[in-house]
Amino acid sequence: MSNTAPSQAKAESDQPQQQQKPQVLEEDDEFEDFPVEDWPQEEAEQASGAANGGNEHLWEESWDDDDAAEDFSKQLKEELKKVEASS
Amino acid sequence: MAATPILDQFLSGLAAIVQDRDGAKLQDFLQIEPPLSDIYQRMIEELRQCYPPGSQSETVLQQRCEGLVPKTEGGSSWSAFPTFMRLYFTFMRDVNVENLLDTYNLLNGLLNQCVLALGDSQMGVVVLPTVLYLSKVLAKLAMGLDRRPELIAHILRMEGTNDQESIEKVTLVEKSANVVREAFIKCLTDRSGTPGPHGKPEGKRKGIYLMANLCLKLLFQCGKLRNAEQMFSSITAQSPPLAHFPTSQRVTYLYYLGRYLFSNNLFYPAQNAFQAAYDQCHCQALSQRNLILTYLIACNIIMGRFPSRALLERPEAQGLAEQFNPLCRLIVRGDYLAFREHLSLDSPTSHWFARKGILLTLRNRCEILVWRSFCRKVFIHAGYLGDPQAQAQRGPPPFLYLQKLLVATRWLQQKHKTPVANGIGHASENFSAYGSQTVLTQADPEFSGLTDFDTVAAPDADHEILEKYGDYLAPDGFFDEDGNWQDNVSGSLIDGDPDANYDERLLNPYPNSAYTEQANQPSLLMRELESILASLLAQGLMRGYLTHRSPRFAIPGARLRGALPTGFPNVWQTISTREQEDAHVPGWVKLPDPAALSAGPLMGGGRVVNLSGARPAGAP
Repeated sequence: MSNTAPSQAKAESDQPQQQQKPQVLEEDDEFEDFPVEDWPQEEAEQASGAANGGNEHLWEESWDDDDAAEDFSKQLKEELKKVEASS
Repeated sequence: MAATPILDQFLSGLAAIVQDRDGAKLQDFLQIEPPLSDIYQRMIEELRQCYPPGSQSETVLQQRCEGLVPKTEGGSSWSAFPTFMRLYFTFMRDVNVENLLDTYNLLNGLLNQCVLALGDSQMGVVVLPTVLYLSKVLAKLAMGLDRRPELIAHILRMEGTNDQESIEKVTLVEKSANVVREAFIKCLTDRSGTPGPHGKPEGKRKGIYLMANLCLKLLFQCGKLRNAEQMFSSITAQSPPLAHFPTSQRVTYLYYLGRYLFSNNLFYPAQNAFQAAYDQCHCQALSQRNLILTYLIACNIIMGRFPSRALLERPEAQGLAEQFNPLCRLIVRGDYLAFREHLSLDSPTSHWFARKGILLTLRNRCEILVWRSFCRKVFIHAGYLGDPQAQAQRGPPPFLYLQKLLVATRWLQQKHKTPVANGIGHASENFSAYGSQTVLTQADPEFSGLTDFDTVAAPDADHEILEKYGDYLAPDGFFDEDGNWQDNVSGSLIDGDPDANYDERLLNPYPNSAYTEQANQPSLLMRELESILASLLAQGLMRGYLTHRSPRFAIPGARLRGALPTGFPNVWQTISTREQEDAHVPGWVKLPDPAALSAGPLMGGGRVVNLSGARPAGAP
């Protein structure tokens, strides 16, 4: 432990300029340890998911937008029509 | 020498524990973290009095520790353990937890010795819980130091002045990961019990995933995920099935495995790992479920499957809807410039994705989906959708003139046009002839000296001919009739006036690629759109073919199902069908397929047999 004092003093002298560094990663992004080692599958299942037999609709596979009234589609349609007419 | 009643008692307790091979109790005995109970404080006092630092007293201490393990003819049977115990005592005697760095170094030495003790084939398993405990404390310490660079600044400085610059710098976190990896290997390669993928974990093999998970946590922390590759392949080759391990270990491992696969762009296997982790994670472990779900959703979006409202309303999905919903909406809308702006580095909407480490992946992988939506909408509004009334089997298939897509792209660029001052203008006139025509990027300074394409392409006066062929017609110098070099300072024409029809004799290395459309030459933007469509077709995200002359996208065979479902098939179904062919997830050892087990005679002798190529008994 004889070298403790000098190294610590050195470290302290560096503190002011180093403290400016922004914290990029937040600590809560760490994957925490579980408080218990093991549990049965029932305890993993959602109360709500279990209630309706686990058939909850979780993912949207068909999301293509066929709504011509949607703003972007409408504008695009008009623009294409305009060009059609002028050519 | 003064009496050491507490130490004596401690040692005899240890001897009994070793004799009973009680690993859990041993770990419980070997406390190192403050606050330590009074009895430990008293033992430390005894150590400082009777065994102060110095080789002589430590030799005596070592001798006392030798007594803990049974003696055999060839000396001590487990020589690494007494040395470990001696280090434990000196650690307790010397450690000053006020100084984190010194504590780290002492603990690192202690853990290293404990891992050596773990290596013993008979007794090693007794220190497994202790190895895990010390590893966790070391990991905590290393990660704490990592967040306080001022405490390790002097090490970094010393390394900086070191002559051996070529040696790769290893951070404390990475150093700890390497020690933990040693312990992991000792667990994985333990020969007790039934080895290979069929045996249940016994002995040290029970620690495989505990050590792997800790090592992965550290590798993530220090950004050296690539170093995990060897770990995953050794697990694939040697580990018992993951299903035999406790749920907490399975879920943690599958989370890290998923992160690793995700960062290697293996989204389907990653999705499998995350889904399994999510399904098995305790429903009250909201923080873990939230993290798993974040990456599970990212994987799914990349493969064309969006989170439903029901999923995003779950308690663990808190905060995810406001991040992922706008992204999904942008993919559906097809405005690729809005998508780019949303995920650009200086946009506040990208920060959360960057913090989660998924920004670049989402940006790179989802843009093609945005383009698919865009093409689809242009096709709906400006394509030839085929004649649904036509009973005759003749007639052209549905198609889209790419010129329409080009017009729509220009319109989009115009729509996003903002004052050029803030650097994100998209007006077509700002596009450089040397960069992308779909997005405005800063022209590379390397190209700044080049003449613009327009002027090069159409020389109509002498000075333009000179501009084009000047290096040949008016070189820096020439050899005169006597063969002597003459400088051409004035830059005059060496051989008189150039031939008017110079162009005809020249092989043009840069075919006339005018930036504006002229003379039947497609524009650079058209070329780029063709490339994007070709990429969509190659990935199966659109179906049909492209014609290059009079650029079109055509959808043959659309009579039965219609142009849209044929030309723009469902993204998730396309990708998942393709990926399902190989259900194997690297790094995830699954239970052997019961069909494969019953097929042939069981392998004896505990050899590892690869069943993938095995045929059922009696097969020809």
